[in-house]
Amino acid sequence: MKTKFNALLTLFLMFAVQIVFAQSQTISGSVSDETGPLPGVSVVVEGTNKNVQTDFDGNYTIEASNGDVLVFSYVGMTPVQVTVAPGANYNVVMQSDNLLEEVVVMGYGTKKKSELTGSSVQVSAAQIESAPAPSVDQALQGQVAGLTGSTTSGTPGSTSTIRIRGISSITASNEPLYVVDGVPVTNGNTSGSTAISSLSPLATINSADILSVTVLKDASATAAYGARGSNGVIVITTKSGRSGKTTFSFDSWVGVQENAISGPTMLTAAEREMLYYEAVYNTYGEAYGFDKDGAQAFSEAFNLDGGRYQAWNANGRPEGDWKAATDNPNALTQTYNFTASGGDANSNFYASLGYYSNEGTVIGTDFDRWTAAFNYNTQLTKNWKFTTRNQVSDSEQNGILEQSAYFSSPRTAYYFMPPTEAPYNDDGSLNLDLNTNLPNPIYVTENDIRQNTLTRFLSNNSLEWDIPVEGLTFTTRYNIDYRVAAYKMYGNPVEGDWVQEGGYAYNSVNRTTNYTIQNILNYNWNITDEHVLDMSLIQEYQENYNKFLGADGQSFAAEGLTNLDNAGLPLGAYGSYTDWKIASYLAMANYSFTNKYVANATFRREGNSRFPTENRWGNFWSVGAAWNIHNEDFMTGADWIDQLKVRGSYGVQGNAGIGLNTYQALLSYDADYAGEAAVYPSTFGNDQLTWETSSTFDVGLDFSILNNALAGNVSFYKRVSDNLLQNVPLSLTTGFTSQNQNIGTMENKGVEVELNWNIIQSNDFNLSIGGNAANNANLVTKLAVDGNGEEITITTGTRKVETGHTVYEWFMRKYAGVNPDNGNKLYYVNGMDGETTEDYNAAERAYQGKGALPTFTAGMNFHVDFKGVFLDAQGYYAGGHQVYEDWTRYIHETDLFGTLYYNSINDVLDRWQNPGDVTDVSKVTYSVEPWRTHSKFLHDGDYFRLKNLTLGYDFQPKMLSKIGLDGLRLYGRGTNVFTWVKAKDMLYDPEVNANGFVGLTSPPVKTWAFGLNLKF
Amino acid sequence: MKRFKNITKVMFVAVLAMASCTTEDLDPTLAQDKPVEGSIVSDQDLYGVSKGMYNRMTSSAYYGRDFIINSEVRTDNVYANSNSGRFTTTAGFNYLADSQNGLWNQGYAAIGSANIIIGTDVTTLEGDQDYARHIQGQAYVVRALTHFNILKNYGQQNFGGTEGIPYVKEFKGDDIYPTRDAISSNVTDMMTDLDMAFDLMDASYDDSSKEFVTKMTAMAIKSRIAVYFGDWANAASAASAVINSNQYEIIAAADYVASFGLDSTKNSIFELAFSDTDNNGSNSLAFIYRGSQYGDIECLDNILTLYEAGDVRADIIGYDPAYADGEKLRNLGKFPDDLGYDNVNVIRYEEVILNYAEALLNTGGDAVSVLNQLTSMRGASAYTTVTADDILNERRKELMFEGFRYDDLVRSGKSIEKIDIRQNFAATIPAGSTVLAYPIPQGELDANSNMTQNPGY
Repeated sequence: MKTKFNALLTLFLMFAVQIVFAQSQTISGSVSDETGPLPGVSVVVEGTNKNVQTDFDGNYTIEASNGDVLVFSYVGMTPVQVTVAPGANYNVVMQSDNLLEEVVVMGYGTKKKSELTGSSVQVSAAQIESAPAPSVDQALQGQVAGLTGSTTSGTPGSTSTIRIRGISSITASNEPLYVVDGVPVTNGNTSGSTAISSLSPLATINSADILSVTVLKDASATAAYGARGSNGVIVITTKSGRSGKTTFSFDSWVGVQENAISGPTMLTAAEREMLYYEAVYNTYGEAYGFDKDGAQAFSEAFNLDGGRYQAWNANGRPEGDWKAATDNPNALTQTYNFTASGGDANSNFYASLGYYSNEGTVIGTDFDRWTAAFNYNTQLTKNWKFTTRNQVSDSEQNGILEQSAYFSSPRTAYYFMPPTEAPYNDDGSLNLDLNTNLPNPIYVTENDIRQNTLTRFLSNNSLEWDIPVEGLTFTTRYNIDYRVAAYKMYGNPVEGDWVQEGGYAYNSVNRTTNYTIQNILNYNWNITDEHVLDMSLIQEYQENYNKFLGADGQSFAAEGLTNLDNAGLPLGAYGSYTDWKIASYLAMANYSFTNKYVANATFRREGNSRFPTENRWGNFWSVGAAWNIHNEDFMTGADWIDQLKVRGSYGVQGNAGIGLNTYQALLSYDADYAGEAAVYPSTFGNDQLTWETSSTFDVGLDFSILNNALAGNVSFYKRVSDNLLQNVPLSLTTGFTSQNQNIGTMENKGVEVELNWNIIQSNDFNLSIGGNAANNANLVTKLAVDGNGEEITITTGTRKVETGHTVYEWFMRKYAGVNPDNGNKLYYVNGMDGETTEDYNAAERAYQGKGALPTFTAGMNFHVDFKGVFLDAQGYYAGGHQVYEDWTRYIHETDLFGTLYYNSINDVLDRWQNPGDVTDVSKVTYSVEPWRTHSKFLHDGDYFRLKNLTLGYDFQPKMLSKIGLDGLRLYGRGTNVFTWVKAKDMLYDPEVNANGFVGLTSPPVKTWAFGLNLKF
Repeated sequence: MKRFKNITKVMFVAVLAMASCTTEDLDPTLAQDKPVEGSIVSDQDLYGVSKGMYNRMTSSAYYGRDFIINSEVRTDNVYANSNSGRFTTTAGFNYLADSQNGLWNQGYAAIGSANIIIGTDVTTLEGDQDYARHIQGQAYVVRALTHFNILKNYGQQNFGGTEGIPYVKEFKGDDIYPTRDAISSNVTDMMTDLDMAFDLMDASYDDSSKEFVTKMTAMAIKSRIAVYFGDWANAASAASAVINSNQYEIIAAADYVASFGLDSTKNSIFELAFSDTDNNGSNSLAFIYRGSQYGDIECLDNILTLYEAGDVRADIIGYDPAYADGEKLRNLGKFPDDLGYDNVNVIRYEEVILNYAEALLNTGGDAVSVLNQLTSMRGASAYTTVTADDILNERRKELMFEGFRYDDLVRSGKSIEKIDIRQNFAATIPAGSTVLAYPIPQGELDANSNMTQNPGY
């Protein structure tokens, strides 16, 4: 190239001598990049308005004079300049401008990797695509050090709980902020009922439309998000168009799902009957003088079983397998995505259409979604650029009652339904004459409706003005996020919860609008070649309002009519309006000296409608610095080091994640009495309420060596959260349960490590392994005190918040096994060790050592490919926490709930039977015990899960070109195919909600899928 | 120079945009609620708050269900059959420190509403200030009655202790972490409140629906509280004031069963409003007393032998039509609407008659003729002599399923007998046992270090 240029130069000098005046000539040539001819490249004669574009084959023709400069420019490519010499034609090869250095999307702008002073992790589209879940958050588990994630339910479309670097608030939100294409969005559950399956707004965004997800963890990055940054920020960027020939892609996979863990096994009817008679004997045998064999006769004489076992025996002892009856085997899941992308030098587009459907593994649940995206950007004039990004989606989820133990839920039936009751009659019809108060869940599921639909329109429009001052740009952005969440509920009048009412229906519509306006002034000032200063001033205003409308009615004349029109008795109509507003001013500066030293600072002033006028505004800031050691002169000899950077940041972010209007002492008017509206005091109020603030310190080291074969980083952080927003318990004699106050301090600290090793890198054979690991230690250091100076702890039935402990550490009585002499349960008197007692009330509650959130998490990945065949594996480990079985009182104790009214997990067969028996399952009794919470059902939560295993083949370009394809990949994929659980007595799926309770929601699923990706 | 102009232009636009948002622009909209301050300016506003107070009494944790069932289920009338697992803990006297908090929470919430009304300076209100005073009188009655209901369950009077409950007289007052007052102090406060109520109220404002406290309700409640604490003189005078008002009648035998399905009957003194659009749904009394969805409360067989032939009160009891005949003995007659639409009676005239009879028995008056006023309207034999046990027995028969039996047994120093294997407690609960008082809720103890727990927990 250099020689060629010299030759041209010589040529030019020769002609320069001869040409006395500027002479116009026609220049032609072609433009290409590494993949071939590049159509749509803009060719401009600098300083004039003469411009042309290359044609489909990359050729151009333009009039220019000797000495003119031709500028070749194209989006995503480094511009090329050529000075015209007489008679010459120029063939130009352009290079992609992002080959230079990886760019990380930070939400408000982007940063080169060398400019980062904090711990931000960017997850690529390829990593996201490996998780066949409707929402992208489920793909983050295991990909980002310090991020713990769990699905709240296996019902497709459900929300996930994501925690970044632990829990930073006691009462306020611990959910990270989600940012889509630079705009903060809200992400709460949009389900029309808190009793049924949840629905995540994130499930409306097609993962196939996502280019990257960046997780911002430290203050240097999150301070820009001010009061919403303290829980971390998840920045989602959608795909943009790419100029050039329009390319198309078609992706699809189809799979089947089952529960990732089969779950506990319940007692069979015969086992349960045997335990029941043993219970009768244990309780009454001695007093009434009968032995074990006489228990059945005694029970029948006094009708102690309410006729249940007598009827079962009379019916020929049928066996009801409710697990099978409520299971949806081989649940089908499938997706189809079609995209097109293309453009010319001035504009480009990305368009997609997607369909996703997913049946749940529990009967009655499914999720369907249509999505469309259209992203377009165009150079309006020389200085004005317009960009629009639009996502539209329509989702429908059929859910079930699953957030508690609802008797008519198919999930509850699996655990609760007595096995003495058969789901079907002998003739195959549904058995609606069950000898229990649980309805037949199959009939209920087939005839009831619990349907959420969510329609979302997300439109992000920006206008960028390249101000005729070098380096200065102004961007204004207008974003609308409009969501309509509709809920339709119908309960049939034949079987289930609405028999006495003659059927019941409830419909609601929740319309949420989120407007965001941003004005961004950016100045990139190359002071000299060595000093570069990048500054931004940003103004942002966000307003969110919610309009709710609902109505219900009961008494339906006929089955099959499910709409409110047919309700004989309209019950009520409900409507409400709420809003919140946030105004912010943000200044950011980034300074770099020869790319060796980087310093940045952020300041954000933010006003939030959640706080009283005096405390409405808060200031948030951060400073950060990095030293790119590899760019130092003294490192020139160390060629094996590609990158070596130390970095540090400190800053203050906030948390305003509390309910609306809680600072005001309020009277509510939504009650009624005697047919008229009634007024009651609803909120205690606190006119001192203000921001919760988190100060985060973060230091780290990034390195990359041996031609980037081995790369990694290590970070340490400490975050102190102060002025904690807390629902401080009040004496109930006030008529209120709690008041929001800013009291308390909590700290989180931890170390995070990431490492990737490309063991073999070649054209035909690649092998790499990688992983990340993080720990998190949480400590509450200060809480509110009452009038006596005593700390106001927050104690629930199972957990407690107190200084000196992990937030919400498990706090309960400690189970000490079973008294071998009499089979009764024992508890430690002091809640820890030593003396035991059979009297539950005499035993102290004590800390059980761990909280509900994993304190250690790790992600692992493995990749190998050989001549197009590839194998990917990815795993996730979470541990150091405990989880609690929520519904043991109904299905895991040794009283009549297990043996007569409901059913029990079959490990109660290990119960105590005779004096001297040593077991940890107490004797069965004919009694109904109160809801006693103790450590027997608190389990270590540690688990490892093989999240992804993919084997595939990329067809070679030679083979494809014959059939006119640019790319073809076929693969088979298994998700959650293997799970290891540390605690042997933890029989449920270990991936539970971040609060640590093993509920009765649908469990996480295992998927086997086959897919193809096609490009043409 | 042109460059400079451009910069200023840009800066101007930017500054303009950025200065456009003020603190007031960020005021949140209050669309459904109103601030406490400045929202009570008329007698009608006070009326609105009073309805909120009654609404809190209708909660299923209070008169809507649990307060009544928790009393019945600890007696020889009924037991909890575990159909849905409800009420078994209370019925078994198996209290845990955090299992008995519903009445405490909801009761003090109702008291909070009453205290807003009582704390309002009526002379500042627009509208009819006498009516506002009448509403204040209602609030005094609700405050006294609710403290009484809480005290009965959490106070130490049943085993000879002295500690009562905090008597809260101010909404958001200075002392939001109160200590327990003595039982004697509680009694004085209740009596003072009821007398104050009677003075403030004007019978011309009484609502004929009986869904609001009337002037005479204050006296009726006073007779109840006085009987409970054996203050026979006050019991007699308060009861006779109600009787002599001639506003109420004992319901006739022929109408007895039907009367429980009707609202605002002539024997009703004060009842809480429920309707087809305002009820507790499946958490109502009807759902727990009957049917297969919950239906946890089943009668013990001994109640069938209580009534002599011809006593109309026996017709309240029967077998649940949702099950095979003879399978489940139920309360069919009280709160008879299967969907929970019936009003719940708080106090009715027959109780006042019984209170009066008991007061007379203890003060040497003519209890026999008073008691026979009731039996003569029930198809039951007249008494020739009356003992304390006769009155207890008559109260059991008349007020069965309405939540009186437990208090009557305990205040009379009776033990709670285990007479049926199905009763949820293992053995007879002797008089004076500490389980006769609930534990103070754990949530209260955790939040308020001035609170002390009852013995035994």
